[in-house]
Amino acid sequence: MNNRDDDIIVLKDLSKIYGNGVEVRALDGVSVKIKAGEFVAIVGPSGSGKSTLLNMIGLLDTPSSGHIFLKGIDVSRASPDERARLRNQELGFVFQYHHLIPEFTAVENVMMPMLIANKSKTEAHKRGEELLRAVGLGDRLHSRPNQLSGGQNQRVAVARALANNPSIVIGDELTGNLDTKSSELIYNLLRELNQKINQTFILVTHDMTLAEKTDRILRIVDGKIVCEMRRKDDGFVASDLCVMGEDDGKVVQISREN
Amino acid sequence: MALRHIVTNRRGTAFTLISVAIAVAIIIMSLGLTESVSSQIIENTVNKNPHILIGPKESESYINMYRSLSDQVGSYPGVLAVSPRLVGQGAARFQDNVQSVEFVGVDPALEDRLMSVQESTISGNFSDLRFNNRGAFLGVELARNLNIREGGDFYLYLKNDSLRLKMIGILQKDTVKDETLVYLSLSTAQELVAEGDVVSEIGVKLADYTRAPAMAKKLNDASRYKATSWQDFSREIARFVGNQGVTNILFYMFILLISAFVIANTTIMVVSKRRREIGILMAMGAKRRSILMIFLLENMLISLPAGILGAVLGYAAAWAITLLPLNVTSAAAGEGIVIAARPEYFVIALAFALSLNFVSGLYPAYSAARLDPVEAIGSE
Repeated sequence: MNNRDDDIIVLKDLSKIYGNGVEVRALDGVSVKIKAGEFVAIVGPSGSGKSTLLNMIGLLDTPSSGHIFLKGIDVSRASPDERARLRNQELGFVFQYHHLIPEFTAVENVMMPMLIANKSKTEAHKRGEELLRAVGLGDRLHSRPNQLSGGQNQRVAVARALANNPSIVIGDELTGNLDTKSSELIYNLLRELNQKINQTFILVTHDMTLAEKTDRILRIVDGKIVCEMRRKDDGFVASDLCVMGEDDGKVVQISREN
Repeated sequence: MALRHIVTNRRGTAFTLISVAIAVAIIIMSLGLTESVSSQIIENTVNKNPHILIGPKESESYINMYRSLSDQVGSYPGVLAVSPRLVGQGAARFQDNVQSVEFVGVDPALEDRLMSVQESTISGNFSDLRFNNRGAFLGVELARNLNIREGGDFYLYLKNDSLRLKMIGILQKDTVKDETLVYLSLSTAQELVAEGDVVSEIGVKLADYTRAPAMAKKLNDASRYKATSWQDFSREIARFVGNQGVTNILFYMFILLISAFVIANTTIMVVSKRRREIGILMAMGAKRRSILMIFLLENMLISLPAGILGAVLGYAAAWAITLLPLNVTSAAAGEGIVIAARPEYFVIALAFALSLNFVSGLYPAYSAARLDPVEAIGSE
């Protein structure tokens, strides 16, 4: 399935400290490697640092110490313009709230990253249409965000994230505002895209049911990765790191609930 | 990209547009009004009076050599008109009504060039004075007070002498002179004064009235005749006209300041409303420079129609004000004000709207570009 074996993103000893005076250690020496085509979920309690970690991977935030390697290149100290370029070319974002620009139609919103990348309008429009069809919105190309449902808007946001063929798509609680049924649909869509075009996804969620649809779950508590689980057959295998909770460091089978 | 974004953006646009338009309108309106008021005052007090009056030499009461003196002064550069006048105080009687008057004996053609007399006539043809040496033009109030009709004969007294004259026209100058003025031909006045072929003063009109003091000084240096500029004989008006510029500038500065704050404020509001949008644009890879450009361009695009709208509104408002029965300009302006609608004002207003918007949009746009994308997106 993976046509590339190399790690697409590598975090090395990454720390982020907020505030002056009262220090908040949002990330504390996180190291992780993610391969191309992986479907990863980051879980953890609120305030654990999972969003901070995602912002680091998304090059939206800079680490206090440590390194981020994107496709083998250290980007942790890149200039704002260089990071902007990388975000445009290599990364796609889907947020909890769809963040579509309300004045623009669905297809125009999807075109936006391509226009930022200076692609021609016709080319962008063609690809925008393709992508919207791929997410099942081929008939809503010219609807504005306020004419679409929450789930539909989030699918537009997914299409937009894919616009420039990014190496990684990251999602922050991307189904947080949706009902269970719409959430399932979105996850199934991502799963499908992951398998069909080998798209790498890194998602933050607090919903374990959704996290279990992925291939790899990173549990983060107090800025540290405390547990890592990989899909194996129908269940997950926890790594040696898992020292807390019911896992208790043992290999566990997480049963799936219906 | 920036353009696409602006064209489709409708939110907040109307509000900014209106505030800029109002600012421009206020400026256009006050510019038009003050300009027209002051030009009206200049028109009434400066241009309807001689810019320079040349009087007799110190020891004499009349100017004898007025023809050669007039020719000499008339040949100076910048001199538009020269009119020798014989002015005296007397009384007019029509039937039983008596009024004190100031009679002015003139050559009608020369006087018309100096004072634009024909423009102020209500009836009669001023040049008729030339051929009708028993004719006279009276100020409108004087005629009313004497209760005389056109064609009526009246007596003009000077000490013990008198002349029987016929009123052939009425003048309205919208000044106090309307109550006392009697125009007659120079030869008739000379006949009444009985001092021979003399005048009492020579009125001079210049192309540029601000040069009157300098010209008066030059005349005083060149001859023993006593020349006085209008700035000397109407100090108050001279000071008013001079001060206009300074007060206007101060006034505009305040309007400018207020409008700048209004624009900055609305732009800041727009920016804060669109924080998440800015965040998502940044997440998609828009550079800080592009964000800055988007907001600056947006401001510029708004300010153009706003400037035009404001200019139109401003003229409309100024025009509406002139229709109000307010005696804004007192007796000096009289007939109400005309709005000075110069094309320069339009250009100035537009340039003003653009630059004002640019300057006051700079900070908010800059702060938008400095937004931390993480924070911007996080602001739910």
